[in-house]
Amino acid sequence: MPRVRRRRVFAALFRAGTFLALGLVLAPAAWVLAGVVAKAAPHWHWSVLWTPLVSGNGGLEGPLVGTLVLMAGVLVIAGTVGVLAGIHLAELSRPRRGAAPGGTWLRMASDVLSGFPSIVLGYVGYVALVVGLHWGYSLLPALLILSIMVVPYIAKSTETALRQVPTSYREGAEALGMSTGYALRKVVLKSGAPGIVTGLLIALAIAGGETAPLIYTANFATRVWTGSFVGGHEFGYLTYMVYAFWDQPNKNQIYLSYDAALVLVAIVLILLVSARVIVARTQRHAEGRRG
Amino acid sequence: MADDASTTSPQVAPAVTEAKLAPGPVDPVLAAIDPDRGRPADAVVTRGLTLRFGEKTILSSIDMQFARGSITALIGPTGSGKSTFLRTLNRMNDKVQGFRYEGDVLLDGASIWTPGLDLLNLRRRVGMLFQRPNPFPMSIRDNVVAGVKAHRIAKGKQLDVVAEQRLREVGLWDSVKDRLGDSPFRLSGGQQQLLCLARALAVGPEVLLLDEPTSSLDPISTEYVEALLRQLAPALTLIVVTHNLAQARRVSHHTMFFYDGHLVEHGPTDDLFERPKDPQTERYVTGRIG
Repeated sequence: MPRVRRRRVFAALFRAGTFLALGLVLAPAAWVLAGVVAKAAPHWHWSVLWTPLVSGNGGLEGPLVGTLVLMAGVLVIAGTVGVLAGIHLAELSRPRRGAAPGGTWLRMASDVLSGFPSIVLGYVGYVALVVGLHWGYSLLPALLILSIMVVPYIAKSTETALRQVPTSYREGAEALGMSTGYALRKVVLKSGAPGIVTGLLIALAIAGGETAPLIYTANFATRVWTGSFVGGHEFGYLTYMVYAFWDQPNKNQIYLSYDAALVLVAIVLILLVSARVIVARTQRHAEGRRG
Repeated sequence: MADDASTTSPQVAPAVTEAKLAPGPVDPVLAAIDPDRGRPADAVVTRGLTLRFGEKTILSSIDMQFARGSITALIGPTGSGKSTFLRTLNRMNDKVQGFRYEGDVLLDGASIWTPGLDLLNLRRRVGMLFQRPNPFPMSIRDNVVAGVKAHRIAKGKQLDVVAEQRLREVGLWDSVKDRLGDSPFRLSGGQQQLLCLARALAVGPEVLLLDEPTSSLDPISTEYVEALLRQLAPALTLIVVTHNLAQARRVSHHTMFFYDGHLVEHGPTDDLFERPKDPQTERYVTGRIG
C-alpha cells in the first residue's frame, strides 16, 4: 500500500475509534437518564419532595434532607481537608530547598486511601465510630467515613490543578513582593479554580451517591434528620430508597424508588451546572479566553 | 562681571555620555529637595559577588556600582550568567535548589541578605519585569493594583486613582480606560508588557530589573518601551538584560559585558561599543561572537 493511502486509512480508523469511544461513554449515560425519567415521570408529583416518608408510603422528605445534609457536610469537612492537602502537595512539598516535609507520605497515604473499597471503610466506621466511640448510627460517623473516601480525590485534583498554574504567575507575584500565602490566595488558587471545583464536584457526587458505607454508619430511618450529629440518630438518604425499594411488592414503594433516582440525577445535574457557572465566573479573566 | 556671567549663563551642553550619566538635578534648590539626597550615589553595589548552582560557578567576583537614576545594560551570549546576576539582585534565586553566593549586594548601602530583612519589602523596592508579559488572571485594573493591595499601600477608592495614574504613566490609559474590568489577555503583547510595567511601578520601586523586556515584542512596541525606560530613568535605577545590542546602545548609560561567567568589561555605553578595551568585547559588539 502506498504510504499516503496507508496514512489516510490509519487516520480514518483512528477517527472511527474515537467516535466509538465517545458513543460508548455517552450511550450508557443517556440510557440511564432516559430510563430514570421514563420510569419516574408518569407518576411524578412535586409534593413527593416535601411529603414525609411513613413506613413505605408518603414521600421523600427525610431521605432528601439526609442526602443534602450529607453533601453539605462532606463539602465542609472533606473540602477543607482535601484542598489543604492538595495545596501542601503542590506548593509546599515540592522538591526544593526548604520544602515542607511529608509530601511523599501524604501522597502515598492518599493513594492507598482512594483504593479502599467503600464497604470496607463503612465497616471500619461501624467498628471504630458507631460501636467503638459509642456514637451510634448517626450523622457524624457517616460524614467522617464519606469524607475519608473523597479526600484523596479532592487532594489529587487540587494538586494537579495547582501544578498547572503557569510559573510566570508565581514569579510575577514573587517579584512584586507578595508573600507565598498571599500569592496563593489571590493569584494561584484563582487560576487553579476549575480543577479544584471539578474535584469537589466529584466528591459531592460520590457523597450523594454512596450507599454501602452509609448503611454501616447511618443505618436508615424514615424520619427527617433530627439535627444531632451523634447519639444513635439514624436518618434516611436517597440512595437507600433506590437500593431498598425498587423490588418491593408495594407499587408506591417502587414509585418512590424511581422518584429518588430522578431526584439524585437532578441534584447531580444542578451541581454540574452550578460548577460550570462558578468556573466561568472565576475564569472570566483567564488566559486563553479572549471571547 | 565675568563671575556673574559664568554663574548665570546657560550651562554648556556636556558631552552626550556625561549628560546621560549625570541625570540628577543640578539646580541647588532642586538638589536640596531631592528625596534621594543623603543616600549613596550608587543605588546598587555588588562586592565580590560570586554565584553558584551546586558545584557550578555561574559568575565569579563581580564588583559593580549602579549609579542612582542610571540605566545599565547587561549584555552577553546566552548562558553568560547575566540573567542569574539580575535575578540575584531581588533574591529571586534564593529558593532555587543549589543556589549559593559569596560576596554581597548592597541596596542603598545595606546588604540585601541582612538577617531579618523584610524580603517582601526588598522586592517592593527592587521591582522586576520579565521577558514574557505575565499579567495575572484578573481584570486590567486589578492587575495594576495587585502589588499595591499586597503591600497595603492604598485601598478602596485610592486604588482607582493609583490604577489610572500608573496606566497613564505607561501610556496605556487611553486605550484601556473603557475596559478596566476586562481580561488583560485580550490586550496585545506590547500592551500586556506595559500593563506589567505599570504593575511594577505601582508599588513605588527604587530599582527596576528588566529581563529582556522587549524580546517578545514587535519593533513598534519595543521602541515605545525603550522611550518609556529613558523617561523613567532619572527617578528609577534601571538594570536591563538584553540580547539586542542596538537596544543596549540606544537605551543605556552604562553597559556590562558578561562572557562565560565573567564580567569581561563594563563602562559608559558609548565607550564600550566604540572603544572596547577587551578583544572579547570587541568581537561580541561587532557581532563576531555571540
